[in-house]
Amino acid sequence: MDTFILILITGVGLGALYFLIASGLSLIYGLMGVLNFAHGSFLTVGAFVGFWVASKMGFETSMPEFILAMIVGGLAAGLFALLIEQLLITRLYDRHIDQALVTVGVSLVVGAVLGGWFGNDLRMFPTPSWFLTAIDVGGAKIPADRAVYIVTAVLLLIANWALLKFTRIGLIIRAGVENRNMVNALGINVRRAFSTVFFLGGFAAGVGGVLVSVYSNGVSPLIAGTYLIYGFIVVVIGGMGSVPGSFLAAMMIGIIRQFANYYATGLGDFVVVILLAVVLLIRPQGLLGKVRA
Amino acid sequence: MIALSVKDLHVKINESHILHGVTFDVPAHKVTALLGRNGVGKSTTLKGILGLYPGTGSVQLNGQEIIGMPTYKIVQTGVAYVPEDREIFSTLSVRDNLALASRTKNNGKAFETIYDLFPELNSRASQLAGSLSGGQQQMVAIARALLNKNEILLVDEPTKGLAPKLVTEVANALEKTAHETTMLLVEQNLALVRRIADNVVVMDQGRVIFQGSPENLNDPAWVHQMLGVSGGKL
Amino acid sequence: MLRWKYSRPLLTIFIALLALAPVLGSNPLSRPGLQQTMAVAFIWGGLALTYDLLFGFTGLLSFGHALYFATGVYVTCILINHEIVSWWLASLISIAVSALLAFIVGSASLRTSGITFAMVTLAFGEAGHVILERNFFNLTGGENGIALNADLIPSFWISVVNTKYIYWTALAVLVFTYAVIWWVTESSAGRVFAALRDNELRVQVLGLNTQRFKLLAFVISAALAALLGDVMLLAAGSAAPRFADAGVTISLLLMVVLGGAVTRWGAVIGGIFYSIATTRMQDLTQQDSFKTIPKWIGGPISEPAFILGLLFIFVVMFAPGGLSGAYYRLRLKAITKKSQ
Repeated sequence: MDTFILILITGVGLGALYFLIASGLSLIYGLMGVLNFAHGSFLTVGAFVGFWVASKMGFETSMPEFILAMIVGGLAAGLFALLIEQLLITRLYDRHIDQALVTVGVSLVVGAVLGGWFGNDLRMFPTPSWFLTAIDVGGAKIPADRAVYIVTAVLLLIANWALLKFTRIGLIIRAGVENRNMVNALGINVRRAFSTVFFLGGFAAGVGGVLVSVYSNGVSPLIAGTYLIYGFIVVVIGGMGSVPGSFLAAMMIGIIRQFANYYATGLGDFVVVILLAVVLLIRPQGLLGKVRA
Repeated sequence: MIALSVKDLHVKINESHILHGVTFDVPAHKVTALLGRNGVGKSTTLKGILGLYPGTGSVQLNGQEIIGMPTYKIVQTGVAYVPEDREIFSTLSVRDNLALASRTKNNGKAFETIYDLFPELNSRASQLAGSLSGGQQQMVAIARALLNKNEILLVDEPTKGLAPKLVTEVANALEKTAHETTMLLVEQNLALVRRIADNVVVMDQGRVIFQGSPENLNDPAWVHQMLGVSGGKL
Repeated sequence: MLRWKYSRPLLTIFIALLALAPVLGSNPLSRPGLQQTMAVAFIWGGLALTYDLLFGFTGLLSFGHALYFATGVYVTCILINHEIVSWWLASLISIAVSALLAFIVGSASLRTSGITFAMVTLAFGEAGHVILERNFFNLTGGENGIALNADLIPSFWISVVNTKYIYWTALAVLVFTYAVIWWVTESSAGRVFAALRDNELRVQVLGLNTQRFKLLAFVISAALAALLGDVMLLAAGSAAPRFADAGVTISLLLMVVLGGAVTRWGAVIGGIFYSIATTRMQDLTQQDSFKTIPKWIGGPISEPAFILGLLFIFVVMFAPGGLSGAYYRLRLKAITKKSQ
């Protein structure tokens, strides 16, 4: 039973990290049709800026300091995402393949710049010391950092939901995911919604970057790799453009992956891909995705 | 007075040339019907005016050139659009569909007028628009256009695919609004056109071939020659 | 380009020169070092060409092409190392396995299209990468990969003095790949591929099963990629997970876009240039004069991805069609000038 709870919660924690990546990917794709390979760079930029803030505080941070690092990392990643969108993506309006290609270029350049400056070795991320302690949940000893991932993801999910549900820009985004041209034909500049989504997606990825560096025991230009790919898988399974779909799929994949890995190392990735294949065969639009006209 | 003046409008989609220099005027406070066989470019003309398809030539709204402007700015100058397939947002509630369309803050009065015109939308305000019937969806699409103060209303086949009873209802709504605003109407239902149109523009193969009075619609030979249909649905 | 009438003999002479270079007296290509570099460059050129069939000719943006290349490398290496079959048969089997894998993966992922297709192929490709890294049943050697047992392959491919044989093999396989893809794309099927890229609906209206044609392109390019993987196994002497990395497919994309899609020769030149550039750039940055450049700019420059990435962004934004596209634009200008 202890092991079950441990694996379950670790799976949920991992799912939370996937969600932070996938939510932005999903909205960016849903609204603009952009397959954003640069999303991994947003994550890495957020991780490095967060790391820079945290290491100003010493080898260990207090919780407020850690939260500050997370927010600054998120903001930096959001601004970086906005810059990429304004500088490159908007100039390739509706050329979806070229947009995807340009984001591939961005990810290469960002990886090279960070690699050239800092090298590819892991640098320890200063965290509050209680991250290393264990919490007792129903007899199972859960590493405390998992709780931070889960709480952050849930907070961002709620914030995301509130924004989409209660604000005008959220209304525009929801409508734009369904039919971008018609939003324009109602006299609304839908591009402003694009910029908002890029910023928010970058912010979530940047916050995710800080947490991923804690989870992988350090910062390096390479940390985004598998998370970006899992992000894509989550988006496809959850349904493009659906944030709740991303959340559901992320949790599902995190948990399934952990359980499969417990029984056989490496089986986790395999099971996830089988799941992806099954979803594609049965429901190509994803769990909560809508069939596009 | 001329509200909208289209001159030599060309539209190319991908490689195909759809509009070959469309020229016509829409007089202010009148209903102008845009007629023609299927595929002659009526919908494309509306989309070209709106900037949904990039076009060349001239489109002037009350003397101001609007061609080449982004669609959202064209709409903001006072062009409202009711698209052919309604294109309401099926995942949003009726209320959200209308809220999205309304561009002014204090819009209580506009909403009242809309709900007077279509009481059904009031009672179904929190229902998802995708779950409405075709006729109700058309009401949402028209209501969306009427929420703002417009210089001109572009309406594309509002009765397409509707049951006869609903056609009457939509026609009544259009007739009511016709008195208050300028309208450019694409419509296959000639009975409706005869009832509300003040002017008729006929297109063929991407060009305008006739512009004049709707009285011609009473002449079956003319209708057959121009539109390729006999008499029109009643 | 030069008119085909003139370019065919010229091309033949050029390839003959390339083939004879290792034995034609003293020239740079008589050194095993450059032979090895060029052999690897030819393989990349061929691989870029197989990717052009997908991305350029058929309009399929696949991010999982590395999987089929790696299948060639690994299946052959495993079959040889376990002394199951000879190199020749092992290669054939690996090609068949790759084609079959492509058929299965293609059938599932072609249910989607466009950008979703890209995501799905990426996921499948990465799954393959992860499986190779895990060393299931002790077959793939995990993250370190497996060394090819040199005693079990034909002896003329072994030892440094025989590098020229690997060079010739790579050149021959590149020419073979070019010939196959030329034949496929100029055939009636090739015209369907091109039509698919431009307007899928039109092909459907003609009553052709678009899915089947896309799958055909997917399988053909996978089979050829496996063949190139077999040669890569000879050149590299080992099978490693890096051959299956998504980075490989992204490099292929770069090669095709930089060289120019849909012209065939553009992809080949792009692949050869890219391969040589990445090796040479690393050599350059090892030199002392490079150390004088301040680290904040020198660091990024020493990573090949920096300059290639910037070049790539530039080409996508401002010079679509890449190198070969620019060439044809210049020719077109020259021709229209002459005819005036």
